[in-house]
Amino acid sequence: MNFLTPLFLIGGLAIAGPIIFHLIKRTTRERRLFSSLMFLLPTPPRLSKRSRLEHLLLLLLRCLALGLLALGFSRPFFKQTPLDDPTAVQPKRIVVLVDVSASMRRTGLWAAARERVEATLGNVSAVDQIALYTFDRAATPLLPFEEWNRTPATDRAALAKARLAAVSPGWSGTQLGTALITAAEALAESDGKQFPGPRQIVLVSDLQAGSRIETLQAYEWPKNVTLTVEAVKASRPTNAGLQFVAESADTSRAAETLVRVRVSNSADAQREQFKLGWTQVSGTGESVFVGKPIDVYVPPGQSRVIALPIIKDAPGLDRLELKGDDEDFDNVVWVMPPGQQRLNVLWLGNDEPANPRQPLFFLRRALSDTPRLGVSVVARNSTAQVLPEDVANASVVFVSDALSAVQGEALRAQALAGKTLVFAPKSAAVAATLGTLIGREGVAMTEVTPTNYAMFAEIDFKHPLFAPFADPRFSDFTKIHIWKYRKLDAAGIPDARVLARFDSGDPAVIEAAMGKGRLFVLTTGWQPDDSQLAVSTKFVPLLWSLLELGGGVSAAPAQWFVGDTAPLPPGPAGTEQTEKDVRFTQPGIREVKIGERTVRFAVNVDANESRTAPLAADELERLGVPLTPAETKPVVTGDSKIVLQGVEEENRQKLWRWFIAATLAVLLVESALAGWTARKENSKQPEAAT
Amino acid sequence: MAVAPTTSRLPSAKFIDAQTLMSIRSLELRARAVVEGFWSGMHRSPYHGFSVEFTEYRQYTPGDDPRYLDWRVYARSDRYVIKKYEDETNLRCHLLVDQSRSMNYGSRGHTKSAYAATLAATLGYFLHLQGDATGLLTFDDQVRDYLPARHGAGHLRQLLHALERPSAGRTTDLAAPLERITSLIRRRALVALVSDFLTPIDQLERKLVALGACGHEVSLFHVLDRAELNLGLDQPAMFEDLESERTLYLDPEAARPAYMKKLDEHCAALRAMCRKLGISCHLLATDQPLETALFDFLQDRLKRGRQFRPAFRGSNGGGAA
Repeated sequence: MNFLTPLFLIGGLAIAGPIIFHLIKRTTRERRLFSSLMFLLPTPPRLSKRSRLEHLLLLLLRCLALGLLALGFSRPFFKQTPLDDPTAVQPKRIVVLVDVSASMRRTGLWAAARERVEATLGNVSAVDQIALYTFDRAATPLLPFEEWNRTPATDRAALAKARLAAVSPGWSGTQLGTALITAAEALAESDGKQFPGPRQIVLVSDLQAGSRIETLQAYEWPKNVTLTVEAVKASRPTNAGLQFVAESADTSRAAETLVRVRVSNSADAQREQFKLGWTQVSGTGESVFVGKPIDVYVPPGQSRVIALPIIKDAPGLDRLELKGDDEDFDNVVWVMPPGQQRLNVLWLGNDEPANPRQPLFFLRRALSDTPRLGVSVVARNSTAQVLPEDVANASVVFVSDALSAVQGEALRAQALAGKTLVFAPKSAAVAATLGTLIGREGVAMTEVTPTNYAMFAEIDFKHPLFAPFADPRFSDFTKIHIWKYRKLDAAGIPDARVLARFDSGDPAVIEAAMGKGRLFVLTTGWQPDDSQLAVSTKFVPLLWSLLELGGGVSAAPAQWFVGDTAPLPPGPAGTEQTEKDVRFTQPGIREVKIGERTVRFAVNVDANESRTAPLAADELERLGVPLTPAETKPVVTGDSKIVLQGVEEENRQKLWRWFIAATLAVLLVESALAGWTARKENSKQPEAAT
Repeated sequence: MAVAPTTSRLPSAKFIDAQTLMSIRSLELRARAVVEGFWSGMHRSPYHGFSVEFTEYRQYTPGDDPRYLDWRVYARSDRYVIKKYEDETNLRCHLLVDQSRSMNYGSRGHTKSAYAATLAATLGYFLHLQGDATGLLTFDDQVRDYLPARHGAGHLRQLLHALERPSAGRTTDLAAPLERITSLIRRRALVALVSDFLTPIDQLERKLVALGACGHEVSLFHVLDRAELNLGLDQPAMFEDLESERTLYLDPEAARPAYMKKLDEHCAALRAMCRKLGISCHLLATDQPLETALFDFLQDRLKRGRQFRPAFRGSNGGGAA
């Protein structure tokens, strides 16, 4: 038998205690009355001779209890030949996920992450399967399982280290949830064979609060996959971030004079004072402020939004920089002055632009420019030849007068290819043009002049055209009086859908699908002769709805983040465009040439990367990811190995519990025996005094 | 020198064993058993009975006991006269009995207090039979009961009753009863002090001298339990003083030599004092037959009577004992 803590055996010397107490004559608690103690002196208890040891059985039991207690505390165990650890030979399947997001650019993080990965690689055995993935917005395999298995066992770790040495942190945001799901699914794939051993994900990351893990909420984590977090910590805690605050598209703020940015400071920051201003990169590669920088005071854990004036004397400035921070990966914001989007609307009719009794007059005024959007209404006479460029450049084509058959066919072809047409006839006489546009003959319209006036009724507010009016505050169309309209049988138009009707039941707005495009038919005009629509509050929103349905208004974001993919605008007609979109890999002003034209994108670092405070440890567990603590393998010397084996054996056998139980049993017997002995002696004791 | 109780010259086998005697519940019966046993053992009485010495007549006044009216004088002269005697009894004896808590100790089935009460009752009964007047004073740390010395069956019953009454006292104070009895009794009398004398005896001598100076005769009965005489206890234990309630851990074997020495010194001092004052002192163990005590008492009385009779007769006309 061996002992884990043999020093406790010294406690066995306490056996001497009961022996001494048994040698001492019992200092009785019995009280005896005596007439007077005036001739008596106190006498100390005497030690009796060894041969007069009393209550030998009690003494033995007490010594036994103490001995067993000392044995129990000394943690005894039987040394056994160590069996082969079944888990030692069981192969493990591990995905090492390395964070390469922008926040890993902080000082010392990447080196620490590489060390952790190399330590993990150093602990694997030849039968283990390792895959190395990097992740920012998505997980990218550096060394998949197949390649690891193909590589000779001796070269695997070196290969993984070489692959890791070739990468470095990028500028993207962190989609930790997506990366973990990718890794878990990679672990689940086992080449058609059931993998027997444990599966594990080793996450090497700074685990910043800006890591997005929401995707894990909808993911059922595999039962046999555990996650080990190897968190790396930045040496300098202060990190202030700079983010561009985009204006909304319909803002009235003077976007060309002010730029708003948000300066946020990390919760554990040690600095609060920063300088913010426009910078330029000098010839030596250093950034210098242009103009006077602004002093910014941001306490730790807070953020401030600052409006920075655009310096008119120095045009072309696109770089805002924050200085005074420990970590500068998120201290630059690239700003591009917002440009105005231009749209074309083609008007085919015989209107006079200045005639306030005709619809074109109202159309021009309704589609006036906004800071972000400029609309050009191109009016062409319906009888004249229409240039194909006009039709191609126009987002929406309005037709109000009769077209020639050729023009009508050409427009129909454009509509079938995806163009949006709005047919708003001024009279029932242009019914033939409608027939041409929809490809049917014999379409008839009759002019209707109600006795008093007609009103809109039965409006389909679920359709995108009327959806802006779905709110009850805006859905009242009854104040718009219709003086006259053209009665049309909607059944005669293929794929037609009536979006609104008059109170008489006749269609007011019809939508007809035409190939990839569509055709809207308004049976009444907005000019004063037809109705009060042009002077109502519904008119402008209705026209903008038509423009949006025509695809002219695009909601392009004001800024792009690294990792985003932006669609490229179509090139000039007749040119073959090779790339439809562009993906951003680093912050800055990205310029893409499309033909003669240059498209510029301001690309910044994801704002969440500035949230560098550590993610709460239980966040992942809350989402169902089982965490296991990181394995720390101490250096095992010869002696300590024996000790560790002893600890392991003792933990397995736990003999001390039996010794403690035996001690308790002996104490119970001793108590019962002592009680019985005491009662027996008391009953023998004669009454000495009366 | 070991302390030994006074040994009688009578063969002890003829007497009632003290433990047997004490098993009798009634004190009067105990006293009668001792005295009558003693008489039957003696077979002859050296003492005379009751004697009355007439002195004079006096006029009856209301309040006088009508028993003492002389009816013959009334028949002759038609006058109420009272006969006056020289004295009602021959001897006045005052029994001073210690009833302190230390007297409640006993290792033989009866306590020293019971033994002392029986002794006092025996003496009282014996003197009653002789026609002597007997008084009683019980005490502990103060005087509890006092009966003046009288003769009569009712008085004897009162005396026995007072002896049986439990005491509420705690400690022993020998000076107080002696002072009290000195102040109470005017005529010469015999004072018998029954106690264990387990208290310092420094003050005792002065009080006894004062008592003797008043012409009283004093006898001390020193009552001790056998266990007190030889510390005959076996087991070590916590011993509690009956009077002071002080406790002491004691191994009797270890403490015995010192105890015996101190007890010897105490008893020797008491005896020396008695010898010096001419007082008889009888050490009685509670397992000792009471007849021997009575015999010793009478022997002592006889001896002293011979010795002091001439002197006493001069001042007091009575007393045959």
